[in-house]
Amino acid sequence: MLRIEGLSAGYSAKPVLNDVSIEVGAGQFVAIVGPNGAGKTTLFKTISGIVKPSGGAITFDGVDLLAVPPPRRAHLGIAHVPEGRQVFPSLTVMENLEMGAMTESGRRDWRANIERIFEWLPVLKERRSQFAGTMSGGQQQMLAIGRGLASSPKLLMLDEPSMGLAPSTADFIFERLIEIRRKSGLTMLLVEQRVAEALESADHGYVLEAGHVVLQGNNATLRADDRVRKAYLGM
Amino acid sequence: MEGFLQALAAGLLIGAIYGLMCVGLGLIFGVMRVINFAHGDFMMLGMYAAFYLFTAAGVQAVFGNTVGPFVAILLTGPVLAVFGYFVHRTLISHVSGTRTASLEGEGHYAQLILTLGIALILQNGGLIVFGSVLASIRTPLSSSAWELGPFFDMSIFLNKARSIDAIVSLAIMSLLSLLIARTRIGKSLRAAADNPTAATYMGIDVDRAHRTAFALGCGITAIAGGLLATNYPFHPFVGLEYVIVMYAGVVLGGMGSIIGAFWGGMTIGLVQQMSTLILPTQLQNAAIFAVFLLIVFFRPQGFFGRMVERT
Repeated sequence: MLRIEGLSAGYSAKPVLNDVSIEVGAGQFVAIVGPNGAGKTTLFKTISGIVKPSGGAITFDGVDLLAVPPPRRAHLGIAHVPEGRQVFPSLTVMENLEMGAMTESGRRDWRANIERIFEWLPVLKERRSQFAGTMSGGQQQMLAIGRGLASSPKLLMLDEPSMGLAPSTADFIFERLIEIRRKSGLTMLLVEQRVAEALESADHGYVLEAGHVVLQGNNATLRADDRVRKAYLGM
Repeated sequence: MEGFLQALAAGLLIGAIYGLMCVGLGLIFGVMRVINFAHGDFMMLGMYAAFYLFTAAGVQAVFGNTVGPFVAILLTGPVLAVFGYFVHRTLISHVSGTRTASLEGEGHYAQLILTLGIALILQNGGLIVFGSVLASIRTPLSSSAWELGPFFDMSIFLNKARSIDAIVSLAIMSLLSLLIARTRIGKSLRAAADNPTAATYMGIDVDRAHRTAFALGCGITAIAGGLLATNYPFHPFVGLEYVIVMYAGVVLGGMGSIIGAFWGGMTIGLVQQMSTLILPTQLQNAAIFAVFLLIVFFRPQGFFGRMVERT
């Protein structure tokens, strides 16, 4: 579904991604793990078009994504749940969800989507008329996920949903995500620093270090790999 | 007492127009974060557009002297909105919106210089095209008044033209509030203002949202300008007199708050008129800024400034 080939990108003179190739098949749950500054967020921003790549190719559903203007990419079915949540603080929860549904498919499926989102993330229903900026970090993260789901995406990209949250809240969000995935069968691409949890639930994983993919494999291979065990899992 | 009520009424009427004028600027600043120095001059263009639509474009012939001016004034809204649309497309968009990432100081220096340049061109271009003679949009209503009362031997006189101006202004303000609060366009404008990057992730074209905001802001201020012109004569440099009031209103209301800008403008109108009760007329503007400083001292975020955000 998403195929990234030999992607290089960076900010002005500083390269961040170097010849990165990643593939996400339909229905797969793929995790990209790695330390701070490895280029995970830059990778997502390149997919969404906020960062322009210096080389390589990205295709989504057979479409050359780099030829699509950034705001059109959401309409192709890519939902980006950004790092640090980035909900719209002066909009209410409901209005945030409506913004998620700005895409053609989101508009079409609005009723069914909102019902599912409220079922999966009931806190959003309780707080639907509250301003998003006044919610706690965990609630904002759930809103960011709900906002992503509201677009009826083909691919849900999650950039560190656990960032800045208390461990118990992060665990809760992970459980929600796994349940959402189980119930919807949605294709997901996750970037995470909580390597153990990410690798445990994903089908396939990539380890990104200093802008390079240093390792990849299915969930069992990665968790059995010595380097991963030592560096990330603390074993 | 009678003088007080009379000044209060005058302040409310002029405040409603100032409010609308400020809302145009507040919309542009709130959505785009662009400081538009040329906004007073867009208003000047609105005044002349209303003037020529009324006199030269046949509105006077069709609608007469009483209704005609207001038809012409309402028509200037779309005219200046189209003008604003093209100014944004050809000039402003190069230094704002998604282009700012590659510019120094997030494009703010370039924006200041560009809008100042546009202001100078409009002022001096206006001088060449319209001449330096004072113009005005006279209607029979400008020189007649309704009498309210008498209550307890006191009567308040409301200038008819200004009263209708205030009503038109409130009507447009209400429509705009509905547009911003309820419609898909309004919500996407607010989302683009809150977080342009996240708005892009939602599939919102931020540059297009900015263009919409700029066009709307120009159209609204142009209407406010036309309304002012029914009572105040104008000239090509009139923008300078009002742009300061506009900024004061936007800051008073709270930077980024569109409804706030209206109340900021209203406050300025009230202060301006009420100050004449105790101060000589020449000190009207000094009084505005004394009150402005006082309010900002105690409430630096303005009336409706956002202080509730958590990150």
